[in-house]
This record gives sequence, C-alpha cells and structure tokens, in this order.
Amino acid sequence: MDRRGKARPDCIEIMATYKEIRQAAHKAWDAVARPRRTLIKVGVATCSRAVGADETLAALRRAVEERQLEADVMLTGCLGLCYAEPIVEVQRPGRPAVLYQHLTADKVPALVERAIAADGIATEHTLAVVDGEPLGGVPVLSSLPFWRGQVRRLMANCGVIDPEIIDHYIAHGGYEGLAKALQIGGEAVIKEVSESALWGRGGAAFPTGRKWEFLRGSQRKPKYIICNADEGDPGSFVNRNLLESDPHSTIEGMIIGGLATDADYGYIYIRDEYPLPVERMRKAVEQARERGLLGESILGSAFSFDLEVVRGAGSYVCGDETGLLASLEDRRGMPKIKPPFPAQAGVFAQPSNVNNVESYANVPLILREGAGWWSNVGSEKHKGTKMWSLSGQIQRVGILEVPLGASLSDLIVGAGGGPPEGRTLKAIQPGGPLSGIIPASDVDIRLEPDHFRERGMLMGSGGLVVLDDTNCIVDLCIYFEWFAEDESCGRCTTCFAGTRRMLEILRRISSGRGRTADLELIRLLGRLSSNANCFHGQGAPTSVMSMFRFFEEEVMEHLERKRCPAGRCPGLIRYEVLHQSELLPLAEAICPTGAVVRDNGTYRIDQAKCVKCDACREQAPYAIGVVDAFGP
Amino acid sequence: MPGSTEIVARVNELIADLRPDNVDLLAALHRIQHEFGYVPREAVPLLAGKFRTTPALIFGTIDFYSEVRTNPPAEEVVEWCSGPACLLKGSMNVRRALEAVLGCEMNRATSDGKFELRLVQCDGTCHLAPLVRHKGRSLGPLTVSRAIEWARALRGEPALAAAEPPHEAEVVAAGEGEAAT
Repeated sequence: MDRRGKARPDCIEIMATYKEIRQAAHKAWDAVARPRRTLIKVGVATCSRAVGADETLAALRRAVEERQLEADVMLTGCLGLCYAEPIVEVQRPGRPAVLYQHLTADKVPALVERAIAADGIATEHTLAVVDGEPLGGVPVLSSLPFWRGQVRRLMANCGVIDPEIIDHYIAHGGYEGLAKALQIGGEAVIKEVSESALWGRGGAAFPTGRKWEFLRGSQRKPKYIICNADEGDPGSFVNRNLLESDPHSTIEGMIIGGLATDADYGYIYIRDEYPLPVERMRKAVEQARERGLLGESILGSAFSFDLEVVRGAGSYVCGDETGLLASLEDRRGMPKIKPPFPAQAGVFAQPSNVNNVESYANVPLILREGAGWWSNVGSEKHKGTKMWSLSGQIQRVGILEVPLGASLSDLIVGAGGGPPEGRTLKAIQPGGPLSGIIPASDVDIRLEPDHFRERGMLMGSGGLVVLDDTNCIVDLCIYFEWFAEDESCGRCTTCFAGTRRMLEILRRISSGRGRTADLELIRLLGRLSSNANCFHGQGAPTSVMSMFRFFEEEVMEHLERKRCPAGRCPGLIRYEVLHQSELLPLAEAICPTGAVVRDNGTYRIDQAKCVKCDACREQAPYAIGVVDAFGP
Repeated sequence: MPGSTEIVARVNELIADLRPDNVDLLAALHRIQHEFGYVPREAVPLLAGKFRTTPALIFGTIDFYSEVRTNPPAEEVVEWCSGPACLLKGSMNVRRALEAVLGCEMNRATSDGKFELRLVQCDGTCHLAPLVRHKGRSLGPLTVSRAIEWARALRGEPALAAAEPPHEAEVVAAGEGEAAT
C-alpha cells in the first residue's frame, strides 16, 4: 500500500467503515436529539466546575432518581458563557429547550419543581431559549449580546454534545474529514489546507499548509505531530474550552496532520493547570482507539498513527515550540536555538511539526466542508474564525468565536458589555504578556495580525484582558515584567537578567524612588532584549514598552510627581481616617494587622502596621480614604 | 511520614513501567508527587538511574517546573491566583491580607507547617476574579474583607459578628441583567 498518499483502491472500504461507525453514532445521538423524555444537560467544564457544576449535576441526578421523573440527565461541555455558569439546559419533549443560568445545587429543587416535574419554566433563573422564538419574555440565545456576532464553527459542539462520548462527536460530522483525507491522500490534504489559507492560531500566524509541507518533505523516520496545548498566556483560555468541551476535533486534526505529513506518532502537551482537559483528552484518545480511528490501519486504510496526552508541570516557556520539545525529551523545558527547525530536527532530533490546538481543530472542518466553505467567513486577507476569551474589568467574562477581522469593540463593548457600570475603558491587553497593550482610543482595531504588527505588537493566542480607569498602568507593567522574569528559562542574559533589572526599575518607580534616567534605562533594556534566543526573551519588554508609549503621562506622574493616579501602587499611597464614623469599629475589626487604632475615642491608621490591603476602606468607605504618600 | 527505605521502594514501584526517551519523566514526577504530595530527595537518584542520566540533570528538571514540589505541603495550602484578571480586580490586596492573617509570605509556609500560601497561574476561571483555591474549591469573586474572614475561619478564629460569613464561590451579578435585554 502506498503510504505517501496517492489514490488508493481502498477508498470504498474506508467510506464503508466510516459509514458504519457513523450509523452507530447516530443511534446514540438520536436518543439525545429526539428525546421521548425530558432531557437535562448540565455544562461541566473548568469554568462551571469552579462555581459548583459538579454539585448541580449530582443534585439533578438525585432528584430525578428520587422522584422517578421521566427525564435523563446528561453531561455536556461549555457554551463559553462563563459569566452565567453553572448553566443547565432543560428540553421537554415537543417544547423548546431553555437555558438556566447560575443554577447552583441550592436552586435545583425549584428548577425540578417548576420546569422538570411540571410543564413550566423556572422564570427567575432563565438565560435564554436555545432556538426558535422568544418564550414568555425569555430571549433566544442568538439574540443575546454575547452570542450575536458569533460564528460558531470550532465551538459548534461546545455545550451541545457530551465530550466524553465519541458517538456524539461522530454524529455531528466528526471524523468525516479524516475519512475524506484518507481517500484523497496526504498531498491533496496539504493542497486543501493551503488553499484554505489557514495559519497557526498560537500566535505566530505561520501558514499551516506550508509548515506541513516542510515535514512532508523530510525523509527521516519516525516523524512526529505535536499539539501545543500549553496555553500559558495568563488570561487566555480558549484552548481549554475546546479540549474539554469537544476533545475529538483536535485529535482528528492531528490524525489528518499525521496523514498529510506522513508522520507516525503524536503528542498532545497540555499544561498542568488544566486537569480536566487532560482527563477528557485521555478518555477521548482511548475511545478513538477503540473505534479504529487511532492506531494500526485507521478506518481500514494503510495509514497507521497513534498519539498520547502529556501533562506539563507548570512552565510558560514550554509553550514555545522548542521549549515544548525539550520538555518532551525529559529535560528542562528550555527553548532551543533555531535552526534546526522542528521539521528538520524536532523531538528526539526527529522531524516534527508543532501546531496550536485551534489550528488542528480547524483542519477537520476544512476537509469535511472544503476549503471554499471554510474561507467564506473572515476578512479580505484573513479567512476563518478565531476564538477569544474575555476577562478582567468586563461585565460578561466568557469565550466566543468570531470571524477574523471582527472589530475589537464589538467583542469588548458589544459582547462583553464593557467595564462595570460607571467606569470607563482604559486599555485592552490582548493575547498574553508578550503581546503589548491597546489603548481605549484604538478599540475599533480589527482583529487581524497585520493591525497588531503595525503597532509593534502581536495578536497573540486569544486572550483579551480589559483594564478600566481604576487600574494603574505601572502596576500592570510590574505584573508583566514579573511574569516574564519568573518564567524566564535562564539561558539568555538579556532575558533572565534584563527582565530582573527592568522589574527592579519598575518597582522603584512604583515606590516613589524613580529616577529621571529610568525611562532611558527601560528603553535600553527593551532594545537589548532583541538579542534573546527565543520569543519569550524577545517579547518580554513588549507590554512595558507599549504601555510607556501610550500612557507616558501616567508613568511620568509616578516618576516625577511620585503620585499614582489610580491609587493602586502601595508605595505611593497611604490610608488615612478622613473623618470619624460609626463604621470605623468594623474597620478596626477587619484589619489583619491591627493598624486601625483608637486613641481616646478617635480612630487613626498606624502607618507602621498598615499593609495597605484596603479591607478597612471596604468596611468604612467614606471614613477611610487613600491619599498620596508623598502628598501634603 | 514514610522513611527513606519505604520511599525508595514505593518510588521504584511507581516508575517500574517507565523508560528513557519515551516522554516519561513528566509522568514519573506526576506519579511521585501524587503519591507523596511532593518529590522526595530519595527519588532523584532513582529517576537518574531509570532515565539514564545524572542526578544533577534530574534535579535541574524538577527545579525547572513550578508545579513540582521538593518539600511536603503544609496542612492547609491556600492557592492564590496571580493572573491578570485577578490582578486588575484587586488580588494584590487579597494577597497582602492573606499573608497578614495566615502569617506567612507567598510561596512559604508557617513555621508550624500548618498554613501555606502558594502562587498559581491563571486557569481561566476569570469570572471568579479575584480568587483563591483551597482543597480544589475556588473562592471568588473575593473582597478583601471576605478573604480575611475566610482565612480567619480557616485558622479557627471566631467570626466577627459584624462581618459577612465566609463565602463559597459566588457569581457576579452582571449576567443577571441579560435576560432583560
């Protein structure tokens, strides 16, 4: 048999095998899709688990069993509406499915009483009707501001199927892309992927088809396909959602990648902070193997490929592709020097290909629906969709998927609702600490790599962290530089020592000991960092540099006048009792260091004891205030 | 606490099926840490033998990863999220308050080994920012006062009549308005 992917006589067999699997899968899904009994879906993912989705699921199962209700309780993934978790969907036979929000276990009895045991709606907890018409004041999901601009392709199955049941994925067209790929062969797969113009979603935006050609061109065996699921950018959690809500799309993409590049084995490297994705991916790999979709002669073809899940142990630079390779090789995850590139000498010095989760997850769609369909959304230059996670000072935290080229303000203001009431947008930090910052004046920027590059920034991997007027730029600079320093692997002096020096200077500025020469020193360190080997070292000062550019006035306020306008930098503020109030005993009681003291019935703050934690002001908001430490 | 010989025997059992150049070292570290709560010193030479390398390189690898511990955890470990969403919503205030109440600095334990504050990276549960985790449960969104009350309760101190009770994960009210839009 020809493994290099020319047309093969076993095409008919492959399709027949796939159809058989598909038929069985449909049977399993039909029980869910056309329920004769009430179907209750509970979204259980990292975000909903944190607010008690496990308990909700258990309480619902218990209630259904105890009351012997005509209902099935099913687990599902995450819709991306983190702000409304835990979410429960209830579909009674012949009725529209209704989503309930903030459905913690204590609200289960009310839900059961009104919407499961009886034919009604638990109105006080409703979020939306899944589709169709609004129902008694409950809006349709697609009309919610968070949902309106979305084109859900990668996320089509998220919150719909049970991520732990492979049949659900297959019934939704899963592994059809693989069956097609096996029929047309590797070369044609690369052609299709190149035609779609898919580029790497991890941050570097390199064309996926080209990357695969490099590996295909390499003659040495074995070859490896590696998935970078070390989503280390703090504030980015789009990959997590895919891995735990629809694990098979990534697996299928990797198998297709293996076929296209003639690879033998794959690794999915998932960060340690994601235990649930690790668990679900392992389960998914197991199930794919059982169905003959992984392992020897996949779907009866001549192509064999297997993969395994590797759990990281807490290192940001392992998200750099060569750092990841070093980590796989049982060593410190220190990024290597390129060249050689992974396609020449990757893991174990063998030819390898590393792509991001989202890149692989797009591939089954391209193969199944064709490159033409896939690229019918997006901007003129950039096709397809991109997932984004919203967090920080925003009303609706969550994950969404929009066409490339969508406007940032549509996401931040439209979907996310902007900063909390009464505050104003200050800036947006996209795609991780190495990407830079976008001031509020640029909020209309289109989400395409070019517009970010023009500004000396990167679009990054999908995180959008929102700042409002209560946040301090220097405070955030310190955070990013601390992160860069903390996660530096220690190879390059400009990185491990440069970030340390930069952090010292920033801390000096924030404590009122800034010097006039500091600005120039920071710029010098910024220039030097281009000498670092990997992107971590090179990108380390990006955020600080762009914050100094866009918010120079605020930085100068810290530096020259020793004032923090947002009142956040602990070295530049002090807490004072502004006037006596009956709330001050509460402040005295809450203070963890006994710094709120009473002398002859008058309260004051003992500055030597105060750790500036703000608890007293929470208790007595008008009586205690923040004043400039160096002020009058 | 198991003695050295028990540790050696157990580690050998745990890593028996692993081999070098097979992406197994991370798995070995996870298994050992799962068993003991940390990677004991005694494991280092055994791992070096297993993976055909030197104890120095094994220790270097252990030292590289922030989630691999080389000392036993305290009785109560409070994980403090260092992520940007938490930071913007006041996590540094929560940190200063927790350090004061629990009596230990970040990534340190109290001298009696009872409490430990541990810095963790963002896992994307940013709707709970600022948050801490304790025994796998997330607590958030926290105010500084709630964090103090919760930490005092953890230390077994009586709650203040005036302050709110310790809070289990509570959700922001922002989503509630949506049904009306």
